[in-house]
Amino acid sequence: MISLIADSATQIIAASDAGAATSEGGPLAPFGWHPWYFLAQLINFFLVIFVLKKFAFGPIQEILEQRRNRIAEGEEKLKRIERQLAESEETTAAAIAKANEDAQRLITEAKESAAALSESKAQEAVAQAQLILSKAEAAAKAERAQIASELKKEFGRLVTSTTAQVTGKVLTDDDQSRINQEALAKVES
Amino acid sequence: MFRRTTITTTLAALGSIGTAAAAGDGEHHALPLYAPKLSEFLPISNSTIAVWIAVGLIVLFCKAATKEMKLIPTGLQNFAEWMIETLYDFLEGLLGKHLTSRTFWFFGSIFFFILTTNYLGLLPGVGTIGWNKVDAEGHAEFIPLLRGGNADLNMTSAMAFTFAILWFYWAITENGMKNFLAHIFAPKGDFKGGLLLAMIPVFLFVGVLEVISILIRPVALKFRLFGNIYGGEQTLESLMTLAPKWLAFLPALPFYFVELLVGFVQALVFTLLCAIFLKLICDHGDEAHH
Repeated sequence: MISLIADSATQIIAASDAGAATSEGGPLAPFGWHPWYFLAQLINFFLVIFVLKKFAFGPIQEILEQRRNRIAEGEEKLKRIERQLAESEETTAAAIAKANEDAQRLITEAKESAAALSESKAQEAVAQAQLILSKAEAAAKAERAQIASELKKEFGRLVTSTTAQVTGKVLTDDDQSRINQEALAKVES
Repeated sequence: MFRRTTITTTLAALGSIGTAAAAGDGEHHALPLYAPKLSEFLPISNSTIAVWIAVGLIVLFCKAATKEMKLIPTGLQNFAEWMIETLYDFLEGLLGKHLTSRTFWFFGSIFFFILTTNYLGLLPGVGTIGWNKVDAEGHAEFIPLLRGGNADLNMTSAMAFTFAILWFYWAITENGMKNFLAHIFAPKGDFKGGLLLAMIPVFLFVGVLEVISILIRPVALKFRLFGNIYGGEQTLESLMTLAPKWLAFLPALPFYFVELLVGFVQALVFTLLCAIFLKLICDHGDEAHH
């Protein structure tokens, strides 16, 4: 094994020597380092940088940036919409609260107004009823007085007529008046 | 020197299996540390070709994924977005918003490029399709058409070098030159009077060590990536010689799954280390932004 490794090391060194033989002198000569080849590879590498920057990193980073901006805009819009929604909910809640308050106030006012109206109507009704009662009483009283007067007249005529028939004499007006008054006085007492 | 020795030892251990097999058929040679040249006039190696293919694949993927961009993604766009967004979020957790938006183009490029080249290096044909080159002495050397992009130190050096330059640039622009130097050399802690004077040389020395540490980091980055990818390719190549040619895929098959993991982990490690180095050096400046 050791001999194999030694043999292989010899081979590598031989390869290095071959490299040294093909290149110019210097510590890097065994590796084939040469200023012109270095320059050529440098140009190749710059070419790679140019190509990647122009055709890959540029456009792709641009589109990534566009996407990032769109996402950020979307997030911003979402936040704005959420804010607007919250504001709208607040406004709606405030409007509903105000409407409730107004409605409550209107109901209270209506109740008060209705109570006042009811009271006034009740008083009016009572007054009307009292008026009707007093009118009815007055009418009844007048009717009763009229009936009493008619009864008195009828009663006097009957008394006078009966007295004239019983006594068989013609009664004067004074007699008739006196008999009526005496008879009425006895009835009323 | 220590790192070089470590890498050589590691590579030697990895190559041992292949060597044992090579002794049997007498054909196998260790994967060279260097990427062979394909042109006498232009700086083109088989690794350069693999990198071009990786660039082409990245272009095709990007064009296909971003052909018709939609706000609600589907298919390739969805996949590309998932990869980029995941990496971006991961880096953002590490570096913070400000630094990530400023530096993602680099870290993203590093990650996806390393990942693509690592996986491209695992495709059948990479390292195995090629031709024999006979030198003046009549020795034949197999030259593969393709080699893993990160199995070439020139490529990993290019990435580490670019990072080093950008690293200093970002550090200075984030902190300012004064704060940048203070971050390295100034005494840390609440020292006053004579104690402060006594601590200045100590922290100057610590600052020099910090400078050395900073300078070594890109070197470590490039060798770490190169070593891992080269070691992986060497392992696969060596394992394939353990069985007869018609069954050569079998011994390497389990290691392909390991290499799939290694390819991803190395891309992540390189990116993550770059990000951590940047975070450490910009820490003061980034706090000010927050």
